[in-house]
Amino acid sequence: MRILRFVGRRLLQLIPVLLGVVVLTFLLVRVLPGDPIRSILGPNATEADADAARARFGLDQPMWKQFLDYLQGLFTGDFGTSIQSGGSVGGEMALRLGPTLELVVIAVTIAVLLAIWLGIWSARRADRVGDHTVRIFALFGNSIPEFWLGLVLILVGYATLGWFPAPSGRVDPDTNLTPLTGADLVDALITGNGPAIASSAAHLVLPVLTLVIGVLAPLLRSVRASALEVLRSEAYAAAAAHGLPEKTLLRGYLRRATLVRLPSLAALVFGTALGSTVLIEYVYSWQGFGQWALRGLLYRDYPVVQASVLIIAFAYVLVFLIADVVHAWLDPRVKI
Amino acid sequence: MAALEMVPVVSGSRDGRFAKILIWTGGTILVVVALAAIFAPLLSSWGPKEIDPNGTLAAPGGEHLLGSDGNGMDVWSRVLHAARIDLGIAICAVALAVVVGTLLGMLAGYLGGWVDDGLMRIVDIFQAFPTFILALAVSALLGGGFVNLVITIAAVNAPAYARLVRAEVRTLREMQYIDAAKTSGASTIGIMWRHLLPNSLTPVRVIAPLNCGWAMLTLAGLSFLGLGVTVPTAEWGSMISLGTSDVVAGRWWTSVPPGLALLVCVLGFSLLGEGLQERAEARRR
Amino acid sequence: MTAPAGTPGREAAMTVSLLDIQDLSVVIHRPGRSVAALSNVSFTVAPGEVVGLVGESGGGKSMVARAIVGMLPNGSHATGRVGFDGADVLRMDPADLAAHRGRGAAICFQNPRGALSPTRTVGRQLIDRLVTHQKMTGDRAAESAKELFASVGIRNPGRRLEAFPHELSGGMAQRVMISLATGCAPGLLIADEPTTGLDVTLTREILRQFRHAADTDGRGVLLISHDLASIAEVCDRVVVLYAGTVVETGPAAKVLREPAHPYTRALLRSVPDVNGGRVVPTAGGMPLMTAAPHDCPFAPRCAHAGEDCRTARPETTSLTDGWSLACFHPQETALFAPQEAAPASPSDPAPLPDPQGGSSVAPGASVTADNAEQAGRVVLRVQDAHVVYRSRFGSGGHHALRGVDLELRAGETLGVVGESGCGKSTLAKLIMGLVEPSSGSVAVAGKTVGKMSRVERTRAQMVFQDPIGSLSPRRTVADSIAEPLRAAKVPADARAAKTEAALSRMELDNSILTRYPHELSGGQAQRVGIARALVGQPDLIVFDEPTSALDVTVQAQILDVIADVASDAGHGSVFISHDLATVRGFADRVVVLYLGRVVEEGPVDEVFDRPKHPYTRALLGSAPRLGESRTAEVQLVKDLDEADAATGCALAARCPFVTDTCRSQEQTLQSYGESRAACWRVPELTALIGKSA
Repeated sequence: MRILRFVGRRLLQLIPVLLGVVVLTFLLVRVLPGDPIRSILGPNATEADADAARARFGLDQPMWKQFLDYLQGLFTGDFGTSIQSGGSVGGEMALRLGPTLELVVIAVTIAVLLAIWLGIWSARRADRVGDHTVRIFALFGNSIPEFWLGLVLILVGYATLGWFPAPSGRVDPDTNLTPLTGADLVDALITGNGPAIASSAAHLVLPVLTLVIGVLAPLLRSVRASALEVLRSEAYAAAAAHGLPEKTLLRGYLRRATLVRLPSLAALVFGTALGSTVLIEYVYSWQGFGQWALRGLLYRDYPVVQASVLIIAFAYVLVFLIADVVHAWLDPRVKI
Repeated sequence: MAALEMVPVVSGSRDGRFAKILIWTGGTILVVVALAAIFAPLLSSWGPKEIDPNGTLAAPGGEHLLGSDGNGMDVWSRVLHAARIDLGIAICAVALAVVVGTLLGMLAGYLGGWVDDGLMRIVDIFQAFPTFILALAVSALLGGGFVNLVITIAAVNAPAYARLVRAEVRTLREMQYIDAAKTSGASTIGIMWRHLLPNSLTPVRVIAPLNCGWAMLTLAGLSFLGLGVTVPTAEWGSMISLGTSDVVAGRWWTSVPPGLALLVCVLGFSLLGEGLQERAEARRR
Repeated sequence: MTAPAGTPGREAAMTVSLLDIQDLSVVIHRPGRSVAALSNVSFTVAPGEVVGLVGESGGGKSMVARAIVGMLPNGSHATGRVGFDGADVLRMDPADLAAHRGRGAAICFQNPRGALSPTRTVGRQLIDRLVTHQKMTGDRAAESAKELFASVGIRNPGRRLEAFPHELSGGMAQRVMISLATGCAPGLLIADEPTTGLDVTLTREILRQFRHAADTDGRGVLLISHDLASIAEVCDRVVVLYAGTVVETGPAAKVLREPAHPYTRALLRSVPDVNGGRVVPTAGGMPLMTAAPHDCPFAPRCAHAGEDCRTARPETTSLTDGWSLACFHPQETALFAPQEAAPASPSDPAPLPDPQGGSSVAPGASVTADNAEQAGRVVLRVQDAHVVYRSRFGSGGHHALRGVDLELRAGETLGVVGESGCGKSTLAKLIMGLVEPSSGSVAVAGKTVGKMSRVERTRAQMVFQDPIGSLSPRRTVADSIAEPLRAAKVPADARAAKTEAALSRMELDNSILTRYPHELSGGQAQRVGIARALVGQPDLIVFDEPTSALDVTVQAQILDVIADVASDAGHGSVFISHDLATVRGFADRVVVLYLGRVVEEGPVDEVFDRPKHPYTRALLGSAPRLGESRTAEVQLVKDLDEADAATGCALAARCPFVTDTCRSQEQTLQSYGESRAACWRVPELTALIGKSA
């Protein structure tokens, strides 16, 4: 019950932050230079055409009126109409979220598991060859530009070796996959479409690998550092001095104490991964949320920008909230 | 009686040797990159924006050391010249972020109360976004150019410094020497300037080099998406972007060299940062 | 070398030694320097024997403990032999070592809260040990854990098993730590400073647990401590370490009463005594050895050292009956003149023979309390001060001080004593204006503290508990000392002159001015702290536990300095301490705090010799007394979960003489002769104690 109260209180605290985000994005997109109407009308449009278009999207209204309309829409779940495509922003967004979440969730899950295992392994061999190798690898992972890594992987995996499909989609269209969630592998699994499962999995390998290498490094460094801290702590020394067996030490005294600080970092890394997907989707022509939001930004498609910024902020703070709950569950010292 | 031979009971080095290696390697890389940037015109026969009319996508060797790109510009020369803008923006941005962030963090941490609440709510809003996405949004709205990019990257990073310094100051202000300063009649500004600032900068010194590396990656990422530095100005990210279409065709030289240069430079910052961190930890023990 | 025989009556247990350390040397190699942590250490511990390992920090006590369990730090090189049950720990293979740790020798760590794994319940941690070393399973282990908890005096053991370490108080954590170590069923139990940080009323009780382990389970016990006086009572034998060498070994009673080595004597003379005995400081500090010494390491600080001490290292020679020492000039004069232990009768602190001619810390006999009251102006007046620390969210909060009244005149020294959590430090902060009173008032030299300007605030100065932590890490000593002068806008040259004057009064060299805090020893740093407090000639100096972070001999030096400073007629001094003995040394009047209330106050001799309040009696009864073992006449209930009663007397829950009146109503301070106490039962108390005894 305490945990529910904690979640409730934290959700309440999110309201001012999200409200701030809503107001700030609404103002910034309008105040800063750039005009969405001009970009859809083309160079030959007259001033009258532009005015008509503005009226159609409600942009001729005073600012406060526009804001109230926007807020009202938000409360009814209506994100507005895209200026570029004329379609419903909510609908478009739903279609784009699946593919991106598929990438990010798979990659972050793999990275977290790998980091826990490798990080503890490395810390237990501190200052030996294995440990130094892991550290150097982590340093490289920290320093490598993901988008470039993506290109190199395409160069090797597709252009040279030909093991993986061309970076031009998420699933082979011939497999006739019925889209349900937008996450192709999930859809293929749900519909039991064998060829689609194979095709979507093959398409996922390179982008997921790129993302994993990118986000693994910070997690690995952190797990290693906190495992090392635990190993050098008085508490661990005491357990070891009392002659507890390796297995008990690892399970009872090292692992949980090490993982205590991981959740908030994992949440941070989830954010990094969200950022990286914008680049990786671009490299692999992955028609996801990042691509869509980026186009919206470039063309000053107000409703698209507002909606995507809000959804990212919401997702991000939500992930942090989950991280806090996991942290509280792992660490008895945390008062919730 | 007892034997006199030495028995090593526990072995392993926890000294600063590894830290020293890291710092030296990182430092050397950065010095080399900086020298390459300064002497770029002397090291290449082509200008960074010079177009070879009869040589687009020329393979490495021959007239172009690392080949030429789709516009017929020399890849080697551009890789060298790009170091100028990449290093320049990254360092300026981080310096700006450190100054602004530290100032805000000190005020929030020491004064507390409504100053703290207000500043931290703003920081909360900034930190409600993954940093790269925030950089993307700000630069899309603000536009490119040296100054705008510095502001963009600094703005994205400053909140993190503010939070870091604030946390540090909140710990430090509970220290006995702060009480001692107060009872010795020091003014608020005196305490901040003479006692809190020098001591709260310790973590900042470690983070800043790492952050420079991150800033370079961000800048390159923005340029890669066409939001940062644009062609014809030589910049690693935009060069990689230009080479994207060549990769599928198996032409590596337009995108691999700038990426490698970027990797090496960021690695230099990472090594330096890691070394500093290791040294700081070794000192704490 | 022969193993020393034990005290008479214990021979049976002494025949086989469990731990037999022979000529153990440990050198730690670090880049750029080596430290000879231990040099040729030899001693034994037999089953059923309690051996005290005593010395100041840097003496190598912890290194001995680490060597016994085969956990020397990185870069260590050990020579010699750590014999344990016939095997040599230094040469054990990993499997034997694993079996030896815990089952062979188990350590109770110094800082129990840090040594308990934070993410595992203490019960689980105990069961881990039982399963590993006693091959117990499931229910049997759980049952056994409960019994162990109960046996170390944990109430409600079933519930405590589910607790996490951070939920335990210091005393409770120490009990859990003892149960963890005994849960390994070790042959040898090692306790590393088991009573550091514990209140006096708990200390003896915890020490008794170790005696119990030796007597009932026949374990060998190695008790490591910096404080010879407090552990001597439970020890059979004592080993004294100095700079990594054993200087004296012998039966506890012998070493405590007739120590022959000058260092042991210095150690004992440095401990203030509750009865008002003197403290004789020994100059200097323990050297850091870079190699095994070729001379007597104590020679530079020793009054009896001759040329021989500086050229050769004294061999360990046997005196009598297992008493041995490493000294060319053993001392035979009695350390203390025979003394009657009669705390209830007026004891006059008769001047003790002072063979080493050191300066002495005696109560300010020249200025009696009455005298000062007439002569001095009032420098501090606290009236009905309450301090409530509000919790940040919602209601509640911690009521740290509840209606404290104090008055102090120039030239006078007020002692404030109490256990942790009694509000001592809050009182210090309140006086210094670092905490604002929730109600009531504080005035220094006639001015209300809250309304003072920055410069006026420097009229009150404070000397802090943590000597190095109270100096700004990136400021030089000169900067730190001159800070109050800078605030008062004293010109630079006058500042330098005053700084140097203050420094020379602290007997520090000017070369220290350009150093940074981390380059100072604890004693030097505290002298700098006192110089900073003195430099602006304040009206009031508050000493907040100024010696509790220091080693025993350094503590004696600093107490000496403070006694000198406190006797200045120009300012009043408030001396706050958990250690009654240090307060008795030089306070004129004393205030006893309990849970934010003054429970007793009065002239220092009156309060110490004729305590009125049961709490004061309990405190005094548990304070260690050199060469004397006795039980406190008032035993308080320990380790309460909720000691903060809402109504009635604050002590009600712990007091053995509690009545319904005590529970429902709080008594205010009433005069009894020269002192005042807040207790309903003062008139009947003497009779009550007589009855229960």
